[in-house]
Amino acid sequence: MKLNVGGLIVYFPYDYIYPEQYAYMCELKKALDAKGHCLLEMPSGTGKTTTLLSLVVAYMLENPHDVRKLIYCSRTVPEIEKVMEELKKLLLYYEKQDGEYPHLVGLVLSSRKNLCIHPEVSTEREGKIVDGKCHSLTASYIRERHNYDDTTPICQYYEGFSLDGKESTMPYGVYSIDDLKQYGRDRNWCPYFLSRFVINHANIVVYSYHYLLDPKIAEVVSKELTKESVVIFDEAHNIDNVCIDSMSVKVNKRIIDRATENINLLERTVAEMREDDHKKLQDEYQRLVEGLRDASVARETDVILSNPVLPDAILTEAVPGNIRNAEHFISFLKRFIEYLKTRLRVQHVVQESPAGFLKDIQTKVCIERKPLRFCAERLASLLRTLEISDLTDFSPVILITHLATLVATYTKGFTIIVEPFDDKTPTVSNPILHVSCLDSSIAIKPVFDRFQTVVITSGTLSPMDMYPKILNFHPVIMSSFTMTLARPCLLPMIVSKGNDQVAISSKYETREDNAVIRNYGQLLVEVAANVPDGIVCFFTSYLYLESVVASWYDQGVIDSLQRYKLLFIETQDSAETSFALMYYIKACESGRGAVLLSVARGKVSEGVDFDHHLGRAVLMFGIPYVYTQSRILKARLDYLRDQFQIKENDFLTFDAMRHAAQCVGRAIRGKTDYGIMIFADKRFSRSDKRSKLPKWIQEHLKDSLTNLSTEEAVQIAKRWLRQMAQPFTREDQLGVSLLTLEQLQSLEASKIQEQAQQN
Amino acid sequence: MTTSSEDVLLQVPQVRYKKGDGTLFLMDQRLIWMVENRDTVAVSHSYADIKSQKISPEGKVKVQLQVVLHNGVSSTFHFTNRNGLQAQLADRDKVKEMLQTLLPKFKRKVDRELEEKNKLLSSNPALLQLYKDLVMTEVVTSEEFWVQHASQYTQKQKQQPQDIGVSGAFLADIKPQTDGCNGLKYNITPDIIECIFKTYPAVKKKYVENVPTKLSESQFWTKFFQSHYFHRDRKYAESKDLFTECGKIDDQEMKRDIQTGVDDPLVNITEFEDKTLDEGYGVANEKTNVTSGTVSQAMIKRFNQHSIMVLKATKKQENSEAEAKNVPKQNGNVSEEKPDDGHVAKKQRIQSKITYEDLDSPSASSSGGPSLSLSKVERYLHGPMPDSNVEQLNPNEASSVLRGVLQETRQWQSRHPSTSLVTPAAAVGALGELSPGGALMRGFQEQSLAQLVPADIENEVRNLYLALCELLSHFWKCFPPSTPTMEQKAVKMHEALHRYHTAKLKPFEDKLIRELSPLSHHLTKHLNQLLNAAYQKFSNWQKIKNR
Repeated sequence: MKLNVGGLIVYFPYDYIYPEQYAYMCELKKALDAKGHCLLEMPSGTGKTTTLLSLVVAYMLENPHDVRKLIYCSRTVPEIEKVMEELKKLLLYYEKQDGEYPHLVGLVLSSRKNLCIHPEVSTEREGKIVDGKCHSLTASYIRERHNYDDTTPICQYYEGFSLDGKESTMPYGVYSIDDLKQYGRDRNWCPYFLSRFVINHANIVVYSYHYLLDPKIAEVVSKELTKESVVIFDEAHNIDNVCIDSMSVKVNKRIIDRATENINLLERTVAEMREDDHKKLQDEYQRLVEGLRDASVARETDVILSNPVLPDAILTEAVPGNIRNAEHFISFLKRFIEYLKTRLRVQHVVQESPAGFLKDIQTKVCIERKPLRFCAERLASLLRTLEISDLTDFSPVILITHLATLVATYTKGFTIIVEPFDDKTPTVSNPILHVSCLDSSIAIKPVFDRFQTVVITSGTLSPMDMYPKILNFHPVIMSSFTMTLARPCLLPMIVSKGNDQVAISSKYETREDNAVIRNYGQLLVEVAANVPDGIVCFFTSYLYLESVVASWYDQGVIDSLQRYKLLFIETQDSAETSFALMYYIKACESGRGAVLLSVARGKVSEGVDFDHHLGRAVLMFGIPYVYTQSRILKARLDYLRDQFQIKENDFLTFDAMRHAAQCVGRAIRGKTDYGIMIFADKRFSRSDKRSKLPKWIQEHLKDSLTNLSTEEAVQIAKRWLRQMAQPFTREDQLGVSLLTLEQLQSLEASKIQEQAQQN
Repeated sequence: MTTSSEDVLLQVPQVRYKKGDGTLFLMDQRLIWMVENRDTVAVSHSYADIKSQKISPEGKVKVQLQVVLHNGVSSTFHFTNRNGLQAQLADRDKVKEMLQTLLPKFKRKVDRELEEKNKLLSSNPALLQLYKDLVMTEVVTSEEFWVQHASQYTQKQKQQPQDIGVSGAFLADIKPQTDGCNGLKYNITPDIIECIFKTYPAVKKKYVENVPTKLSESQFWTKFFQSHYFHRDRKYAESKDLFTECGKIDDQEMKRDIQTGVDDPLVNITEFEDKTLDEGYGVANEKTNVTSGTVSQAMIKRFNQHSIMVLKATKKQENSEAEAKNVPKQNGNVSEEKPDDGHVAKKQRIQSKITYEDLDSPSASSSGGPSLSLSKVERYLHGPMPDSNVEQLNPNEASSVLRGVLQETRQWQSRHPSTSLVTPAAAVGALGELSPGGALMRGFQEQSLAQLVPADIENEVRNLYLALCELLSHFWKCFPPSTPTMEQKAVKMHEALHRYHTAKLKPFEDKLIRELSPLSHHLTKHLNQLLNAAYQKFSNWQKIKNR
């Protein structure tokens, strides 16, 4: 249908529309008009992606000068593929309506692992290995060597691409991962480099968060994207953690040892080169004198895995004199590593600021701040000069230089923590030095600064006022939409006590209590006996899951559970978990039904949907607080309190509740779906927790459902399931949670009239 | 009733039946019960009629015995010996044991087949009707009927009953009982053994290897229950017993499966991340080495393994059947198709995730299947035409016809203004002719057939059709008769049709003429047509054959 959203004609590739989708479009358009950032929450399963795409594409076609590019960032590869399919559908709809395919190119950028079509390299499964092998076939000096030595293997696809790939333009269309590969095969072009090249002028780019947020990658990939872009972060509820992860570094003994080996190897190579090819090193020295930004050197293929975030100042400056010479630089690195070694030799925990760290390093080994800042760039240059083809071997020393650069660049928002042992095993010495980012706004700041509109959206962003604070930006629009429903298709309940009236809670004091564990077990067994098909349970941590399962086995809970359904459990090995998941789905589809025990914050809770029969009930055993004893977390909490005036408890609760909401939200994927959400912890019924749930869950969480015993909950669930099992047709939804074009228009007209009357 | 030669085998006084006290007699042919102080026999069951006997469970206050007859009737006798419970039990047991020895002797050799047929007929009313129409009127013989006409029903019966799946909790169902002296007693049934074998092929292998050559069956199971393999919370390495190897085999199997990967992109967690953080980056602590270190980790792994194997056990058979069917087809181009298939499957999976069926218009969603593309639609609709050369016009003719038609239509436009298409007089005339009684409506009957025919006749006609169609379908199946057996069958069916004609159709027609003369012809016209067509065919065939 064609909609009129505030004067903009939007093609929506369906015949019906949900009211909240329309509302979402209205808000999004306001943000685009204002060229500002926005924060939008809409329940999962209400067609967020297609709504976003329809509006932005329409806007782009209407105002080609205001919005030139749409950058859609999502979290996982399946999510990305879904977006591509939605986009294809939308553009085909345009073609059907207008008789002409819109003049847009949309494509996906993914890692080499997913895009490579080289017959040998693509058989590798590990991303790093693929990167390394690719590099050893495509680096500029390798190709140069091939020119006079035919035996040097190169990649025909890359050659094909560099020969004539850059001159031609891609035909209008949408290219998913598989399409790109096919396109590459047809033309003998490398899809990865093609895609990296094309994103600079494509209208719609879909890729993973990391390509924009991780400075190491963003520097290489996304640097030249135009300012007039709309950036969308979908499923963005965890965006602060992504930011922090991409800026944090940690070093342990093993890395130090391997880095030392790297250095020795480098030293030997430099010495050899000094004898053989003196000129090359001299050239490099000259280049470094002139400055780093030497375009001819930084061929795109050489720059992999390097470049932490660098302030622009560094790039224009010349590398300081004391590390320009290769030998000098190597001895410099040696000193630095020795220093780190001494720092790791501690008996107690040490925490200090970057400034303190720099001062210490200055007094102990006489290393100044400035050369440290250039460490990463300098090493990258050296590796290029030495023609080292496989960079994966050198990842430890690269990591060390990144650490140096980070410490020297940011004096605020970081902390350095040295832990002599793991908290869980205090007897085993395993020292780790963390350089931890505390401020999630550092990594995302360039994105907010650069692009005119950044949309942060997810199904679970509540409480929304937290995000502008921790990401340090000012949204022009901040909105949360609920789900209009023709029937109460979700049933949230808080179970606070077992049948024996013992309060159930995963709080630290009672979590190992047998009565609590037994009550959790009874709840699960009762639910399994009464709910059809799939049931998913989330525990607060993997350790807790393990201990509960062990006790359940002793108490016979597992046995009675197996009488009703098959049991699957998430493990720490993701391949094993994928396999178990596959069988979980098979079990649900064969009608046997299954129970999946999983972990909040785990990979299952973040990326796998349990729609329809795969998840008729979700149980959240306890509140998924993050492990609060961690020093890094404590440091971050302190920082948040000092910098943003966020109370520790507020942040912890916020973090726990967004994960809880994320877990239970896995079960609802659309309005025809239905599912039970059981929050099994007494503390959920407190208002500070309850109020932090997304609005669309809160709405259905009536007061009468907030303090139930196991038995009561099961009774309510039974009645509700009977109601849900009735046939549900389009007619039931129409007008309430589903609108035709006419209904939408009449709704709009009445709204305008109302406004007119008020004025 | 009582023949003089009857012997009383057992006599039990004080037996209550339907609130009346009396005596139970076990004769050599039958079981009787007489009301106290009277000579009349109130209950008499021939042993041959008795299907089974049931007794009340131990510990119940009332001591009872029930006999169930083949026709479903049952009689319950209540033992009320005044000497107390023990005596009542003794009485009852006496009767029970006597019956136990007697009943098998009299167990009628029930013709299983007959019973089955009976059951089939009673459960399928359509078949029963057919049976009545065809067999009882001797149109076809009973054997023929069962072999040919009821074959689809009997086949349905023969179809393998669905395999019973494996319960997820079969191991949990083996509850150990303490036997009082520090020992545990496990009870297992053949069902459970079957489950174990199905789910854990490795155990079955061990069983075949060791029983009975090395171990007795009970020893084998004793070892099984002692092993860590059964106790899921123990670790392997500790003990070296028979089943250590089983565990290892299972583990290897699982590992192999995991390595082959997961083809569903939406659950393959390992492939979720586009760019993983390199070692040393990020906040989270380094993952502890993923070995099944602790006991509970091993246990969790085994729970997963158990569930997966249970599922596999049920899937196995279906798969092997499906594979057997698929193999010959794919043989040629497996290598080519495979990646493509994965691609398509993945796409479908994603498509199914992104479509919101409630947003789509209903028509769009239904057009899922492959569409039929026809080069000649008429031929598809009408079937093969006998004389297709008529259709073909040579181009000259065609163009002249076309020209003619065009000419005509042009003239239409010029001659008639659009307002008056027909003259009023002609219109009235046409209307008159089209009204009942008019020239064009001569064949019209004011009442439709449905209203005229009484319900019972209608029903009869329906049954006639049913029977005839059944016969005809078999008749036509014989054509073209390529083998001698087919020919034989054709002849036989032809005869059957004749018999049907005389035995069923003729009487019905006679009846119609008597009862509703005006309709008689109409009702059976079509039936006769069908029959005649078949006769025609048959005689044609005979002619050709004799030539």
